[in-house]
Amino acid sequence: MIHAHHLSKSFGPVRAVRDLSLMIDRPGVTGLLGPNGAGKSTTIRMLTGYIAPDTGSTTIDGIDLADRPTEARSRIGYAPETAPLYPELTPVQYLQHRAKLFRLGRKERDTAIGREIERCVLTDVARRRIGALSKGYRQRVALAAALIHDPPIVILDEPASGLDPAQIIELRKAIVTLGQMKAVVLSSHVLAEVERTCDRVVVVAGGRVLADGAIDELARGEPARLVAEFAPPNGADPMLARHHAAELLARVPGLASRRLLDAGNPWVRLEAPHDPSVAEALAKVLVASGWRIRELRPERPSLEARFVELVESAAAEGSA
Amino acid sequence: MSPSFVIASREFAAPYRTASGWLIAALFLLLTGAVFTANTLVPGEPASLRYFFGPAAWLLVVIAPAISMRSFAEETRTGTIEPLLTGPASDIEVVLGKHLGNVAFLVSLFVPSLVFPLLLAWASDASLDLGPIFSGYLGLALVGSTYLALGLVVSSVTDSQTLAFLAAFLLVTAFLIVTGPMSERLPSWLGTLAAKVSVQPRIADFAKGVLDFGAVITLAVIQAGLLALGWAALDARRWR
Repeated sequence: MIHAHHLSKSFGPVRAVRDLSLMIDRPGVTGLLGPNGAGKSTTIRMLTGYIAPDTGSTTIDGIDLADRPTEARSRIGYAPETAPLYPELTPVQYLQHRAKLFRLGRKERDTAIGREIERCVLTDVARRRIGALSKGYRQRVALAAALIHDPPIVILDEPASGLDPAQIIELRKAIVTLGQMKAVVLSSHVLAEVERTCDRVVVVAGGRVLADGAIDELARGEPARLVAEFAPPNGADPMLARHHAAELLARVPGLASRRLLDAGNPWVRLEAPHDPSVAEALAKVLVASGWRIRELRPERPSLEARFVELVESAAAEGSA
Repeated sequence: MSPSFVIASREFAAPYRTASGWLIAALFLLLTGAVFTANTLVPGEPASLRYFFGPAAWLLVVIAPAISMRSFAEETRTGTIEPLLTGPASDIEVVLGKHLGNVAFLVSLFVPSLVFPLLLAWASDASLDLGPIFSGYLGLALVGSTYLALGLVVSSVTDSQTLAFLAAFLLVTAFLIVTGPMSERLPSWLGTLAAKVSVQPRIADFAKGVLDFGAVITLAVIQAGLLALGWAALDARRWR
């Protein structure tokens, strides 16, 4: 469906995208996740043919975007970030315009417009000027326009930008449904959005792909942690809790690498690499010493943790 | 329908969906009306629009940039250029569509002025010769569309409508000066070339009913060259 090979793009001295490759071979929702300025929009603009890469190539359904651009672009439905639309038109007029551009016949056009008006919940505003619509409705019109020719590939640049929470929930549902039939690529810097809508995530920062895989796979890349919170026995000096805890933990084998933090007097928080035998030994030592335990669990790593780790390490590499 | 015609039809209709289009139309009718009253409705003179088309062509120096300024500059400013250039239309189709739409809008401005020949026919005893009227309007359309093509090129390299208007206006004015009063001061070969592409003598010929195919072809070639430049500017955008 989409095969992007070694794309690079610079704007003057700024290298926006470096040697980025992306393969999407089946329907589903792929999220391009990265902080602001990561190169997501530049990548999307290269995938849609809006800008040409300095190096690299893209094929859409096997069609080279540089060699046969109009044919390749006809297979893509694209909604840019700011939902740019003609304000003097109504949603119906705009959809008609886009449908005509894609050479849809009259009957096909009417069917497509009806379908998208319904799908994007635009019935109430279908004949109002776009310039008078709210940001949320304009985003929906842009999405409807991207889908009007029923493309196999849909590319959405920050689709939830500027929407209120209710609108974001509706949009997520629509994207998940679309992903069952089409290859959807969306860019976002909002983790929750990617986590809730995407099957696959491509983490981008500094113009490079840092990670690419299913969300669970990516999160699994980070080892699980052992998290425990405990306090000294009643009567012990709470001010010395951390000191006593350190002495106590020295008796637990396998806890060489650990972090001890204050968790609100007298509670102490321990973070360490997860190992079931260590957790068991820790529990025995704490109980035997009369310490109170309020939490002792392995912590599953989140996408957020993985994302932060990736982006921070990329930033550190960049500044090194 | 070809994407060029789809783009042209939106481009044609867009100004009429806003006040600015009607303002341009009203202004053009008002000014051409003044020219018609001053130059044509003269007692004792023959019933002819010969002295109408020349000054009307001067109005195009302002009107054409006012039409073409929005072509790409407005799309760039608002971001609508992105869905346009990632759609199924090729760059050349986009340029042609924009230009055709602009030309159609310009020609639509001429329609109300058709009342002038009717008034002339009503006010004069002699019957009107329709040939010069037809060729005069054709001349206006050709000259106007050449100015529009120049404005389109300028509009494709900026996102400011004001800048697009001013630059197109100045370039058209410079073109008229270089090919008109200044042409005699140029080296002989350049002066001859400048005189060949000079617009005002062509308009005068068209207004007399002289359908000079050489002039038609010259203006068409200039337009084609300008549109190719617009196409190149659009393509260059992708490589920035």
